[in-house]
Amino acid sequence: MPSRVFEETVLPHLNAAFNYARWLTRKDEDAEDVVQDACVRAMRFFSSLRDDDARSWLFAIVRNTWYSRVTRRGAINPLPLDMTDDPADSALNPEARLLQQHTVARVRDALEQLPVEFREVLVLREIEGMSYKEIAAVVQVPIGTVMSRLARARDRLSRVLKSSPAAMERAR
Amino acid sequence: MICLELEQHLDSYLDREIAADSAAAIREHLRTCLSCRQRVADREAVGRLVRSMPYYEAPDRLHRHLSTRVRRTRVTRHLFAWAAAAVFVVAVGGVISLVRPSATGDDRTAGDVVDGHVRSLMAGHLFDVRSTDQHMVKPWFLGRLDFSPPVVDLASAGFPLVGGRLDYVSGRPVAALVYQRQQHTINVFIWPTLSDRQNIGAWTLRGFHVRHWVRDRMSHWAVSDLNETELSEFVAALRRM
Repeated sequence: MPSRVFEETVLPHLNAAFNYARWLTRKDEDAEDVVQDACVRAMRFFSSLRDDDARSWLFAIVRNTWYSRVTRRGAINPLPLDMTDDPADSALNPEARLLQQHTVARVRDALEQLPVEFREVLVLREIEGMSYKEIAAVVQVPIGTVMSRLARARDRLSRVLKSSPAAMERAR
Repeated sequence: MICLELEQHLDSYLDREIAADSAAAIREHLRTCLSCRQRVADREAVGRLVRSMPYYEAPDRLHRHLSTRVRRTRVTRHLFAWAAAAVFVVAVGGVISLVRPSATGDDRTAGDVVDGHVRSLMAGHLFDVRSTDQHMVKPWFLGRLDFSPPVVDLASAGFPLVGGRLDYVSGRPVAALVYQRQQHTINVFIWPTLSDRQNIGAWTLRGFHVRHWVRDRMSHWAVSDLNETELSEFVAALRRM
């Protein structure tokens, strides 16, 4: 019975899907709407799930659902394709200082400030522990792009975290 | 191994997405280079910070809602199964005869796909997803259609895939795959069907050639201003895949 299989293969990833959607939307209510829509779609297209990677499959649907909502609302400014890399930060602080200085709230703010294309690869890699291949399947970009986005996301995040709190306030 | 090289591979090294020999070379370099060790430690710290973020869990309301919804689908399916069985019994009794799609229905659809083809070229809306990579075009349709269209590149046969988009044909959302042959665009419209048509249908409407066939319960409609010979070649290549 397909719906039982759906319940057993897809619903176990509901929390992960919500966490991903929450980082995409930055709002609880929006994340809930996106995940609900995505799961309803997933139920309908369940027969298109070919391999056993239900998590990447569900995440891709979550992302498509989210993306069509924001583009419909005209609320997104997609990453320009010709965006050049940021200059590398040569003066890195020791890790201990980084860790001490930053509370959870500060890191969350810094992550939320990142362009969503950078934020999501960090969440998928660090929090979900996905491989580059899995991330590529979710985000629907080549693996090379996943790699460069991750590198730039980490560069930016460490730079934001090292900038002064005052600068962060202004940036918001 | 020089420091610049390490910088290039820093992320794939930390993410264990690098070949074993390259990883060994990096480890060897790190043994002797303090500034690179520092860089690695810093990068690891950033990862740890992200991992220390609280995990947002789906609210109970959402869990409940979706479980209920899944179960309801199951009950509905049971009802459908019983209804289908009832219809079958009646049909065997000779009361109902199945109506096959008529030729005029296909003629109308051929007109609709030509409209779709022309619209895509005139409105300059040929692509929703522009890619020559079938592995990017296929997942793009995920979550946008209630079926998964077969997507193959035919560059080897001289008809490169250039993208895809959502389209409407005969009042239903369909997948449109776009192929190119020199200056000619070929649109292939795909949607599920119950028909088991074996042959290839052919039409010429308003200067466009149309070919229609069914494969794996998917209705395929190819439209182009390409000459008939090359369009037939294209269809043959697509059906071979």
